[in-house]
Amino acid sequence: MRHDELDRILSEENDLTPSSGFLESVMETVRSDASAPPPIPFPWKRAWPGVAACLIAVGVLLVACIALLHRQSVAASSTDTLPSSFVLCLQVAKATGAGWIALALIISLASIMLSNRLGSGK
Amino acid sequence: MNASEDQAAVARILAGDSSAFEGIVLRWQGPLVNLAYRFCRDRERAEEMAQEAFLRAYRSLAQWRREGAFSTWLFALATNLYRTELRRIPARLVSIEDLAEQHAPRVNHQNFEGEEHDRIVRNAVLTLPSKYRDALTLFYFHEMDVGAAARSLGLPEGTLKARLARGRKILSAKLSHVLVSPLLRKEVT
Repeated sequence: MRHDELDRILSEENDLTPSSGFLESVMETVRSDASAPPPIPFPWKRAWPGVAACLIAVGVLLVACIALLHRQSVAASSTDTLPSSFVLCLQVAKATGAGWIALALIISLASIMLSNRLGSGK
Repeated sequence: MNASEDQAAVARILAGDSSAFEGIVLRWQGPLVNLAYRFCRDRERAEEMAQEAFLRAYRSLAQWRREGAFSTWLFALATNLYRTELRRIPARLVSIEDLAEQHAPRVNHQNFEGEEHDRIVRNAVLTLPSKYRDALTLFYFHEMDVGAAARSLGLPEGTLKARLARGRKILSAKLSHVLVSPLLRKEVT
């Protein structure tokens, strides 16, 4: 098929006329959108203390881990009996209450996502 | 309504008068519905897509930078939306082989209708890979204006020209197996 034939067919297309109710339908949607209340913005002001507390908790956890690992390595070098990394992780987690911190973070995240979802009306 | 009236209507809407959007819909409903139709070949769906495009335009009017034409911004927004819609729910496509089967009984008939032949060619555009389909659709919608089509697609003109050439080539190859119109044969030879 020749290109000029393609050009003729594809450029000479009869225009559709939108249906009679199209304009009204669009304007109805627009009016409804305009009258809808604006989405509730995320309350960053109130969330900041929680976010800051989480960051501090993570920082404390890291420092505690490093300190514990350092103590373990000192003890190991004196006795030559290295605990397995898994046992070490468990000890760190137990000593710092990492399980509770992880649970608190998950609950915080879930509550933020839920409030966002409710706020956006989805 | 001309470009300055579009601009005035946008200013009124941004000032809180949503009824001013009616002028914009009146002016652009035809082009937007027709562009949507070229993407999906379904009148009902085309109107739904165009309505969604107008709603998106209404919501993001503040993002229109006045240095560009309103129509350029509107077509780019609508094109983007239509392409996304087609990725989400593709147009009801008929394969090129099925087109041939549908077409075959009529080809040798003396009352072969040119309109039917043209319809098959237009529908065949939808069977192209999306980047070629979009290039051809926008190019012919904008009355073969490469610049306008490139702006609607957000592509450099050179890229659009390359896609047009490749798209036409693929389309011609596909259609050459399908259409055996005596009229076309005569013109080809």
